[in-house]
Amino acid sequence: MTMAPPTLAFLVLLIPLASAVLIALVLRRRGGLASCVSLAAAAGLAVGAAYLALWGGRFSFHAEWFRLGEFSFPIGILYDDLAALMLSVVAVVGLCVHVFSLGYMRDDTAKARYFGGLSIFMFSMVGIVLSDNLFMMFAFWELVGFSSWLLINHWHEREAASDAAKKAFIVNRVGDVGFLLGIVLCYWRYGTVNLGELGALSASGAIFSSRAIPLLLFCGAVGKSAQLPLQVWLPDAMEGPTPVSALIHAATMVAAGIYMLCRIQVLMVPQALTVILWVGTATALYAALCATIQSDIKKALAYSTLSQLGYMVAAFGLGSISGGPGPGVASGVGAAMFHLTTHAFFKALLFLGSGSVILGCHHEQDIFRMGGLAGRMKFTFVAFTVGVAAISGLPFLSGFFSKDAILYLAFANNRPVFAVLAFTAALTAFYMVRLWRVVFLGAPRSQAAGHAHEGGWSLTAPLAILAVLALVGGYAGLYGHAFSGVLSLVPEAVGADHAFIFATSVVALLVGAGTALVLYGKRAAERGEGQAGPPDALERGAPVLFGALVRLRSSFDRVYDYYVAKVQQRFALVLNFFDVIVLAGFIIRGAAGCAGLVGLGARALNVGRVNAYVCWLLAGVVLLWALAAR
Amino acid sequence: MLPDTINTYLLVSALLFAIGFLGVILRRNTLVIYMCLELMLVASTLALVAFSRFNRTMAGNVFVFFILTVAAAEVAVGLAIIVALFRRRQTLQADRFDELKN
Amino acid sequence: MSSFLFTFFAVFTVGCALGVVVNRNAVNAAMCLLLSLLGVAALFVRLEAFLLAFLLLLVYAGAVVTLFLFIVMLLDVQGEPANRKRPGVLASAAAGGLLLAGVVSLSLKGRLAAADPAALSAPGASLKLYASELFTRYLLPVQVVGFLLLIAMLGVIVLSRKDEAAGRGKTG
Repeated sequence: MTMAPPTLAFLVLLIPLASAVLIALVLRRRGGLASCVSLAAAAGLAVGAAYLALWGGRFSFHAEWFRLGEFSFPIGILYDDLAALMLSVVAVVGLCVHVFSLGYMRDDTAKARYFGGLSIFMFSMVGIVLSDNLFMMFAFWELVGFSSWLLINHWHEREAASDAAKKAFIVNRVGDVGFLLGIVLCYWRYGTVNLGELGALSASGAIFSSRAIPLLLFCGAVGKSAQLPLQVWLPDAMEGPTPVSALIHAATMVAAGIYMLCRIQVLMVPQALTVILWVGTATALYAALCATIQSDIKKALAYSTLSQLGYMVAAFGLGSISGGPGPGVASGVGAAMFHLTTHAFFKALLFLGSGSVILGCHHEQDIFRMGGLAGRMKFTFVAFTVGVAAISGLPFLSGFFSKDAILYLAFANNRPVFAVLAFTAALTAFYMVRLWRVVFLGAPRSQAAGHAHEGGWSLTAPLAILAVLALVGGYAGLYGHAFSGVLSLVPEAVGADHAFIFATSVVALLVGAGTALVLYGKRAAERGEGQAGPPDALERGAPVLFGALVRLRSSFDRVYDYYVAKVQQRFALVLNFFDVIVLAGFIIRGAAGCAGLVGLGARALNVGRVNAYVCWLLAGVVLLWALAAR
Repeated sequence: MLPDTINTYLLVSALLFAIGFLGVILRRNTLVIYMCLELMLVASTLALVAFSRFNRTMAGNVFVFFILTVAAAEVAVGLAIIVALFRRRQTLQADRFDELKN
Repeated sequence: MSSFLFTFFAVFTVGCALGVVVNRNAVNAAMCLLLSLLGVAALFVRLEAFLLAFLLLLVYAGAVVTLFLFIVMLLDVQGEPANRKRPGVLASAAAGGLLLAGVVSLSLKGRLAAADPAALSAPGASLKLYASELFTRYLLPVQVVGFLLLIAMLGVIVLSRKDEAAGRGKTG
């Protein structure tokens, strides 16, 4: 191919935009055609991304879009190894999801809108990946938020869906305020928001000691990647179609926060990294605890995503500059990006698998009404098992390697965090195996489950691809030299540490999986059959613990509801009062009233009587006299 | 006794003028208003003559001559108008003539 | 003596002027006007403007006020009704009073030289001078004023033409 890499990169960026525009303008009612257009765009994007990654070389490209006085809004592409890796992940997972959507949304009434939304999302996400400065990234950031709203809101006749979409958008907005403040501060302080220039500044030793800037920028990641305390939108976002959850809320959009953190690594300072570390760790633990009590398959996977995102953020925070024992700052980036990649594969796999299950059980999402699907949906069962194994950290699968890297980094830098993350790994194994056991094994618990069947090739092919990637994605050799810039940063334990970490993760896996199999295993299930009461064995066995976990899960939502209802609404009422009474009433109508009064006054002078006119004449003369005599 | 100076003449003229003006404002009979107007005119002629006398010029006197003439013409025309007005409205009360109101 | 005369006539004039304003009856008001014109003529005599005094009496008092009286009696107007409370009265009275006070105070503060009149000669006393001024220097204004009188006469004739509805006679 003789196309220059920058041109190819722009093409990759603009193909999904063209598809979205085409669908929006012309194909509004032609759902089938729209899906083909969108799929073609995704395929083209994947091909372009693969080419760029493997043979395109690394480059950066910069141009000015428009000027406002002295401020020029830049537009540019920074295509280094980090971007290449992220772009490839987005492209592969995106293509799989597009193929899956063909089958999943076949009977939907608004296919064109859905596929248009998918295309817009791909455009925005690629924009975030490729942008070389923070302003451009922020613009695409907001676009991604918009596409997320559009797609969550797909079945907007359901009030729950439209509420969830609003919630996602607003919570993201809250994070974006901090993000924007950080960008502005960065521009003000360093005179540039171009990532390349910032890197050069940092390398040349300009003082980079502000704590505010990285923390404010991290706010954006808190919002987009659903960390505490802004994690409340992600479980609700499961109201969208399952492929959307797979693409946006598992693999790519929520990972954008991590990606952004890696992009701005030069701005980090130790104090900021500590904050990031603890936020990530807390999120991981909290989400894992909440996941253990979920009975909706998609919500369980959502909390799992939250937990893994916490892992990634914690990994980033662990790479400290303090120069203590263990690897330096870049290791955090490496570990986080590695886990991001493997997580994208196995989480997308799990979500698409759950989509296949949901469709097979005729849109049933409660796991306690499934069961025994292993026999009826063999392909999905195998793929899902691979995914569960990967996320639980079964040795030699992709998830195992990435999780180990993080655990090693934690072990080297911060022992308490290591303990927490190890416990969370056990919890992860627990709830994932619980999910797997309840959904696929045992006897069917409902009519729908009893008649489940496998979907067509469009549902199974993506599962196959992703399963393969989840199996072997952890071997760096697979990627050749394509992403060496990032993958070489991944910390690898050696010697005694290696053995210890290996042992820890295996123990966590066994403990978690074992507990799940015991609690939800055959005998427990048989004992539970025919008993009245909640279907969840944990709920039956330890109701106090279960209740505490439920309250924990809803605590954030309750706090936000209180704040919105009591504080924000009251403030809004005050502002409304001000607007209606003072502005519209006093000032606007008052001004009109004054003008009217003046008019009335002038009118009252025209009495028609000569005497009165003479009086006014006198008044005028006196006035002139007074003025003249000064 | 009042001193026989320019100032007192002017004072008298001013008084006459003010009284005339008061009449114009306060009276409602159109003819009386007109009479008071003439009074104001006479007051101004008095001032002119006084000035002319004390500054020893002729200009003031001559001007008064003309004022008298013009006043006569004005009265003729004005009264003709008033009569015509009376014919139409059958009243001379000034505050009835309010067709231009508002 | 002269000072007494001046005082007397000044007071007389002002008093009759007040009478014009105050009188309810229009005829009474016209008579008061006549008397005040008389007073002013006397003041003119004091100022040695004899021709003017004469002219004042002849033209103003003789013709103008007579005309007024003719019209008043012709139109047969009833006396003004009692001064009921109409909105502008107080304001007008206040305004007029203010004006009065203003002019009076201003004139009293005048800084003109207080020359003794007896010491100076009055130019207006000489009829010859008067005539020569009128017919040489001020000839144009004289002609114009003549023209004006013509116009006024024409205007009066036009204005007092009889229309079909009204039945009053012409006025002169």
